[in-house]
Amino acid sequence: MRFSEKVAFLVTERRSLMWSVVVLIAIVGVGILVAFLRLDTEVLNLLPRGFDSVEGLKTYNSEFAQTRELTFALLCQPEDADKLEEFAPKFVEKLRAQPWCVRVLAGSPMETPDGVRDLQRIALPLLLNLEPEDFDRAISLLQPQKIQERLAQLRREIESGSPRPEIELTLDPLGLITPSLKPFAGNAAMETDQPLTSPDSTMRVFPTVTNQPSISAFDCQKLMKQVNAFRASAVEGWDGGKLEVLITGRSAYVAEISLSMRHDIVATVLSSIALVGAVFFIGFRRWLPLLGMGFALLLCCLIGLAAGLLIFHRLNMVTVGFCAILVGLGVDFAILIYGRYQQARSEGDGHRVAVADAVHSLGRAVFFGALTTAVGFLALVLSNSSGFIQLGVLIAIGISAAGVLMTTVFFLFVPRGNVPLRNDWILDSVRNYVHRMLARPRSILAISAPILMALLIIAMVPQIPLTFEANARSLEPKNSRAGTALSLIMQKMPVRWEPVLGIVRAATEQQLHDFWKSISQHWAELQRAGKIKSFSTPNALALSPREMQRNRLELASINFDAARTALQNALTQNRFNPGAFASAFELLNQLQAAAAPDFKIPSWRTQLPLGSAWWFLVERYFAQDSLTTTGFVTTNTPVATQEQKNVLARELPVAGIPITLSGWSYTLTDLVPWSHRQLLLISALMAIFDASLLAILYRDLRLWLVQVITLALAVAAMIASMKLLNVPLNLLNVLAFRLVLAIGVDYGIYVLLVWQRSHDVARDLTGVVKPVVLAGLTAIAGFGSLGWAHNPTLSGLGVACAIGLFWSLAATIFFTLPAAVAVKPKLPQGHFTEAELEHA
Amino acid sequence: MRNIVVVICLITSCALGVRAESLSPADIKSLLENIREKRAAAPSMQADFQEQRKVHLLDEPINSSGKIWFQAPTKFRIERKGNAPSITVSDGEQLWIYYPNFKSAEHYSLAKRSPLDAAISAITTALNLENVEHTFHIAGDKAGKGYDLELTPRNPSMKRIFQKLLLHLSDDLFAERTDMLQPNGDQIVTTYQNPNHAAIPASQFEFTPPPGTEVSTPLGK
Repeated sequence: MRFSEKVAFLVTERRSLMWSVVVLIAIVGVGILVAFLRLDTEVLNLLPRGFDSVEGLKTYNSEFAQTRELTFALLCQPEDADKLEEFAPKFVEKLRAQPWCVRVLAGSPMETPDGVRDLQRIALPLLLNLEPEDFDRAISLLQPQKIQERLAQLRREIESGSPRPEIELTLDPLGLITPSLKPFAGNAAMETDQPLTSPDSTMRVFPTVTNQPSISAFDCQKLMKQVNAFRASAVEGWDGGKLEVLITGRSAYVAEISLSMRHDIVATVLSSIALVGAVFFIGFRRWLPLLGMGFALLLCCLIGLAAGLLIFHRLNMVTVGFCAILVGLGVDFAILIYGRYQQARSEGDGHRVAVADAVHSLGRAVFFGALTTAVGFLALVLSNSSGFIQLGVLIAIGISAAGVLMTTVFFLFVPRGNVPLRNDWILDSVRNYVHRMLARPRSILAISAPILMALLIIAMVPQIPLTFEANARSLEPKNSRAGTALSLIMQKMPVRWEPVLGIVRAATEQQLHDFWKSISQHWAELQRAGKIKSFSTPNALALSPREMQRNRLELASINFDAARTALQNALTQNRFNPGAFASAFELLNQLQAAAAPDFKIPSWRTQLPLGSAWWFLVERYFAQDSLTTTGFVTTNTPVATQEQKNVLARELPVAGIPITLSGWSYTLTDLVPWSHRQLLLISALMAIFDASLLAILYRDLRLWLVQVITLALAVAAMIASMKLLNVPLNLLNVLAFRLVLAIGVDYGIYVLLVWQRSHDVARDLTGVVKPVVLAGLTAIAGFGSLGWAHNPTLSGLGVACAIGLFWSLAATIFFTLPAAVAVKPKLPQGHFTEAELEHA
Repeated sequence: MRNIVVVICLITSCALGVRAESLSPADIKSLLENIREKRAAAPSMQADFQEQRKVHLLDEPINSSGKIWFQAPTKFRIERKGNAPSITVSDGEQLWIYYPNFKSAEHYSLAKRSPLDAAISAITTALNLENVEHTFHIAGDKAGKGYDLELTPRNPSMKRIFQKLLLHLSDDLFAERTDMLQPNGDQIVTTYQNPNHAAIPASQFEFTPPPGTEVSTPLGK
């Protein structure tokens, strides 16, 4: 018994057994989904592995405090700028009162008494951390004569009207704190780097750290629910015109993305099913096979997801597009098989015979179609992007399952009784076209070839550019509130370009200190040489146990009693108010205590209150693990090219110190060539595979050439259409090309195999072209439905694929077939041997 | 006799009441409009001044005197005399303070949210009064001679620098006395004498440090 007959026997005579198998597969699949379903919402996991810059970005994104930071912004009308300044403190007060709010940065900490006090609290460990020569110079100010001279000088300057001595004496009455606070040296540094008020005063920004327990999608959603409730009531008391409360940050993005994933799954699957169902019904006017097709596709999705979970343990956001893609692809098989089955029934065959005929006639095409598509998607394994690797593997599994299920389980839903189709206008149209094409193929080529050639020229000419979006926003969900907020903030706050990050991990505190000391010296040289514009590092905050021990020993040589007396005398002589200098005496006490051999110096981390605004500055440099740190380099011009990146990668590191350079702009200089390489290299590999497969399959140079040219023209037409319709490529929808290539090969195989092997060409071509057209339309509808996804990765992929599939289908029908007829005229039926006819 | 004393007290009270008549919001608006017209007609001013500063860091106030030149809206020059002379010059964007005794100068960039911005605004507000109603709550009295205004900042940045600015204007609506109270308890009282509204050459608001001057930028560039 042939394989096709065995299948027909099982699905018609052993239906209970088949259903049992189906139910078992479904139970196992659902069980795996319920037990293991984990979603990975990290957008950075879509980026390829193997790039240090990407790894650095992931580290910065996950380990530094910004993971729990939200940025609030108030945006008012220009005429309300003064009102906004008046309203801002009330808003901050409300914000601080929220149970999820840990701290808010409402202005430079130096402008508040608390900020100054916090700075004085951490002075001791930072002072002891100074380099020996700096420390010696600093504590020389404790000599009685120097104390007196300094205070007398400052007194004279106050009399002269200078604001400086008042600022200096308020912060640093002994002159010891300033040298120890290099990172805070420019008291407006934080404001300069990250201005909190827009130049036109219509926007005020409030970075806020939350107490979100984890960075999981669910915790982000929970937090943002509370935050949005606060947003609704936050403007109470505002009496001006329109006031917008903008909120952005990682949690805002993750909450939106994870919610949009749910929307994307529902919207794309439902619209995909609806569109595909509509096309199927228009083509065949049958409900039960449509139901069977949907059921089989659902089972394919279940198998793919379950297998994916077992393999990867956690599914990335891109894989939510898996179901829609699989529906778009798998439906081809059902339509082809059912088309052939219906043709056999309409010619008088019984149910079982028609099933066997359909499987026998198209099983080979379905097998090769599934193979090429599966291999096409498996090529994504080479992308190095975990999200796309998952997508590729899941679709490869799903499409293989579809190949099996559509030739077996699908028939469980096909009724035994036959109701012939009346008025099949699609079949009639196809028949007319096939007859005309067989009679005058060149007349069709005369129209299709010039159109495709024109599109080829458009695709190749550089004057009409294909837009390539290489910024991070191309990955954001559409209409993202967090994205819009960020965009508005960026517009209003024209800051310098994004710095390059230098992430350094160390094993010990001393090593961290030594690393940053060397790096700071090296970067200072680069700055002097004009190779970089500026830099900032956690050098002064990275404590050195060795220096601290040495400096403590030096403190033992100070006569603190004499210093205290000198300070008291200087205050009296210069008629200073001793009460205003209490912090100076306190610091002297601390230094004296630190000189004791058994004194344990407190870490500055424990001295800084949790709500201190200085944490915003500290946490720019330190991750949650205090031995993971980052420095910032501002380049002379924004990093935009790989040449710039290569120069930085060569210049910034210090020999022997492991440093990871990163930042979005820096990383994109890696990713853009990567995505170009993706487009060329992997597509080329796949094209070679497809070409080899076709050569083996056809064993005919002319047919092989026809198909290869068709594929090239279809891809060129796709590029030309994207150019003309201004559909941009982004980092991820470049992968659409391989998908179109895979499906385009399938269409070619379906029609050319029939053309090559058929003994009744007109009939068999009509029988296959109709399903191919319907399959093409359903695939276009399936992928087009991805356009409804909020995630631009998915929607971009869907739109690009829909365009590509349209051209693949059009090229197959209007170019491949007439070209095959033109270059290889079919011999009369009598020319075939019996064996060949049997094989066909 | 007792009745006479009571009558005298009543008359005195009435007289005082007349001398310190509160201004309604409409009066204040009208007054500010008059001030604007005056400034438009005479945007320059130079005067002698005397200043008393109570600084919380010091046990006793500091007295100084000198001369001030002002050009609306934001240019000024202050020359202090005495034991601790200094020259303060601002063109509205840059501020220089030169100390002849120390041969040193401090240079500040304004309008970059420096801590000096609001302090400078206080000086220019007192002498200019342009658009003060937008940044201050204003209350006022008609005094026997001129007007007394009390300006309370609306904006947090101003509030950080001073709590209240008391301003006495002459009958011709120019500042005669200012009293600025700061949140940290510091107080600056300035009186202006011998005002003159002749035009002032632009060079008066420019400053180039003399050769050999040590220049510092205490708040960075």
